Amino acid sequence: MTTGISLVRENAQVLQPPRSLWVSFPLGRPLGIPGDADFQHRVIQAGLNLLNARQGPLLEDFPEDISDVDFSSPPACPISFPAAGRNWQARLAQELSQLQAWYEIGLQRRQGRTLVGLSKSEIAEILVMLGADLDADRLPQDLIWFKAAIEDVKAFYIEALTAQPGNYDHKAVYSLLWEQTEFGAALRKFYEQLLAHDSLAEFARIVLPREAVQEIPLGTHSQGGGEA
Amino acid sequence: MVRLSDLPDYEREHLLGKALQPMTPPYWVSPVKPIEAMRVALITTAGLHLRNAQGFGFTDASFRPIPSEMSSDALIMSHSSVNFDRTGFVEDVNLVFPIDRFRELVERNQIGSLADVHYSFMGAGHSPEAFEAAADQVAGLLKKDQVDAVFLTPV
Repeated sequence: MTTGISLVRENAQVLQPPRSLWVSFPLGRPLGIPGDADFQHRVIQAGLNLLNARQGPLLEDFPEDISDVDFSSPPACPISFPAAGRNWQARLAQELSQLQAWYEIGLQRRQGRTLVGLSKSEIAEILVMLGADLDADRLPQDLIWFKAAIEDVKAFYIEALTAQPGNYDHKAVYSLLWEQTEFGAALRKFYEQLLAHDSLAEFARIVLPREAVQEIPLGTHSQGGGEA
Repeated sequence: MVRLSDLPDYEREHLLGKALQPMTPPYWVSPVKPIEAMRVALITTAGLHLRNAQGFGFTDASFRPIPSEMSSDALIMSHSSVNFDRTGFVEDVNLVFPIDRFRELVERNQIGSLADVHYSFMGAGHSPEAFEAAADQVAGLLKKDQVDAVFLTPV
């Protein structure tokens, strides 16, 4: 028998799994609040209680919302992002040099836990290769490595930007990433290049989130990505 | 917080596009023992796996085993979608895969035991039918592990 969590109520209503608990939390946060064991236990218990039901399908709503949780103010940007000019490789390298210490602090705070490691490549090596592709105005050659590599860099940036303890508003973190970093600008540039090729348009959609595409006009960047 | 009515049109349309039709045939199992006696497994669609295991492909209907006896910090994520938040998972693996919470439930005698192995899928790019063979395989593995109930978590 199964029970579980649904994040999109409308879909659970249509698919009709035997037992499902709808929660109103953001995608990516099915248990609600990181580091809050009591809250997570309340979600789990509500889901487990559905196992007692003798008729279904059963879709229940978890009664608590987290929209009222007080987030601390948006993350203070811990670095000065590179000025415009210079080439992609140089700008990405400069950004990395500023973020490295924050990544290490984040690593320490999280007792060594990191999501970096999918590509098996060093972050510095990845950024050199991405920068070289952008400077040469060419597409990445190995898309499997490219996808793993950009996920590694994204994890590195997120862990560095949230190195200090706090309950971060994830939207503010992503806004910082997409709008103010050279790496964000680099991904936007790759997205545009991939989208221009019919056979790669689908792949482009797993490079840049819909939110970044829709909310920030392509071809713009607030800092150094003037070439983007 | 994430009611569809609160989302931008493009996000709402994308998510509603995943609601296809009811899973058939209707399936129902009534409990034969109290939750306190059940052996429970976790299944996530978050594309999690051990650091040294093969990552998921861009579209991938296979699964990865996650041993119960492991440090929850050993898990990384290779979900291909970029359209959900990862900052929470960076902070706390239990936000997506609540393994520590379920260990606590065992310690408190609120569930009987945890399965030896849990399972991870990567829920992007395929229709539900594409997962049928792998789901059958996992069902067989869960039976062999004498699991009574599965707790499913999306991402």
